[in-house]
Amino acid sequence: MRKKNIPYAILFLVLLLGGCIMLVPFVWMILSSFKSNLEIISSTSILPKAPSVEGYVTVFRDAPFVRWLMNSLGTSVLITLGTLFTSALAGYIFAKFNFRGKQALFVVLLGTMMIPFQVVMVPTYLIISKLGLLNNLMAVVVPSLVSAYGVFLSRQAVEAIPYEVIESARMDGSGEFRTFWQIILPQITAMLSALGIFTFMAAWNNYLWPLIVLNDNEKMTVPLALVFFNSKNTVNYNVEMSAGVLIMIPVFIVFLIFQKHFIKGLTMTGMK
Amino acid sequence: MSKVLTLYRQYRLDRRFIFLSLTPILLLFLIFSIAPIVWGIILGFYQYSALYQESPFIWFDNFTNLLKDEVFVKSFWNTFKFVGIAFPINIVATLILSLGINKIRSTFWRNTLRTMFFLPTIAPLSGSAIIWSTMYKNDGGLFNMILERLGLDTVPWLSDPSIAMWSVVLMTLWADIGFNIVIFMAGLDSIPVQFYEAARLDGASRYVVFWKMTLPLLQRTTLFVTVMTLISYFQMFPQFQVMTNGEPQNATMVLALNIYSNAFQYNNMGYASAMATVLLLIIMVITLAQIRLGRSKWEY
Repeated sequence: MRKKNIPYAILFLVLLLGGCIMLVPFVWMILSSFKSNLEIISSTSILPKAPSVEGYVTVFRDAPFVRWLMNSLGTSVLITLGTLFTSALAGYIFAKFNFRGKQALFVVLLGTMMIPFQVVMVPTYLIISKLGLLNNLMAVVVPSLVSAYGVFLSRQAVEAIPYEVIESARMDGSGEFRTFWQIILPQITAMLSALGIFTFMAAWNNYLWPLIVLNDNEKMTVPLALVFFNSKNTVNYNVEMSAGVLIMIPVFIVFLIFQKHFIKGLTMTGMK
Repeated sequence: MSKVLTLYRQYRLDRRFIFLSLTPILLLFLIFSIAPIVWGIILGFYQYSALYQESPFIWFDNFTNLLKDEVFVKSFWNTFKFVGIAFPINIVATLILSLGINKIRSTFWRNTLRTMFFLPTIAPLSGSAIIWSTMYKNDGGLFNMILERLGLDTVPWLSDPSIAMWSVVLMTLWADIGFNIVIFMAGLDSIPVQFYEAARLDGASRYVVFWKMTLPLLQRTTLFVTVMTLISYFQMFPQFQVMTNGEPQNATMVLALNIYSNAFQYNNMGYASAMATVLLLIIMVITLAQIRLGRSKWEY
């Protein structure tokens, strides 16, 4: 037994060391955020010598920081709700109804998942500009309301529900939409919460598309905001790091609270 | 007779429901997915720019110009270099790490380790890129500080053309191995314990168990992981734009960044679309080949 324990201990320590290394950039970010800008540029010390909150003060003073958070929160919530609704509804129809061209449509839907964003980026930009939505937060929301992957996952989940459940709802005179809302939705909540978490994270972290369609400082979302300090205040590293802390740490806390659902969701979406 | 009638009524109701609910969804899908794909490919054959009134159809000129464009050729090979380095390391490392973490007996530590490796994936890539560029700084960056402490030479992480790509790869791996670790761990968990017991009773060595049993049974997971990772790596953008913006000497100029710059900074939207079509072809060929090769023969 003892012979076995030594390699096990080594394995454990190596993994723990690896895990700690993964956290180093975040520790570095937090430490740097408390340094003065001069110290970051000149010093060779990892720990802040004269801790200051100058960076944090600048974030709130020089930028519409709360506004950015609200922009991100608002767009991400809308995208998530929209995606969940359209995915569940389309998934239900693809799973339980028949109509002409259904299979072909579904294959096309799945095929779009392979398309790199770079291909659709320019035309979508042109469409958004024709709709007069450039530099409007709706430009971020509208193109992301339907997700092929979401429809795919929903169809899988709805297929597992037996027909009898739907039939008996019909017998009770329930309308189609009510059947969907009251009978189908409650049965696929596990899948929907997984999809919801991922849609939200993807929307919250999306960088390229908001970069293309949003220009005003007032309209920026969080990922753009992080870079804003990089380009505007060329050398204010402490401000960047403070903004990073303010944006990432709350997300980490939310993640740690909902961790179980999150991991379960990831594996569920990944395994199907 | 009345049964036929109710069936017919149900049929009519079904049609109406399908029509009313699917139409808006498909309309959104058509406008923001199908139409842009078709339009994007067509744009590659036009000299299109938002700045000019005229946008003539120029056949394959954009594509023949691509071949003569040094920056494009460089970005093409750089993309393969990036994927060629980052992808195999990602898959091997995440497989080893997930096997390792799954061996930990305490549930608490298994979950804690998984969380530690997963945390970077929930941070926005643009933010992580900023953190890493300050860590890579020549003076006062974390890496060079450590090298100095150890009495070693400092490294120009992002300013040396032969090193910059490796620096971006390292940052990318840090930022996204968590996803694959979690998925591999779940895949490993779903292999029935009895299989391992049976293998042990048969006296199979650990080497044989891994290569002949674990890996084949993990095929579905591996297929998913490899397809998703490749598709996303070919399109990687934020860290290239934020950390190096293609510099130095275009050593980190990848297709995704080149397309963005051409479309939205130089306003060559037709030319950028031709590039995007090339990227599309690469991803399609590779994905289809993978699905072909990796189709699972195992069910359990």
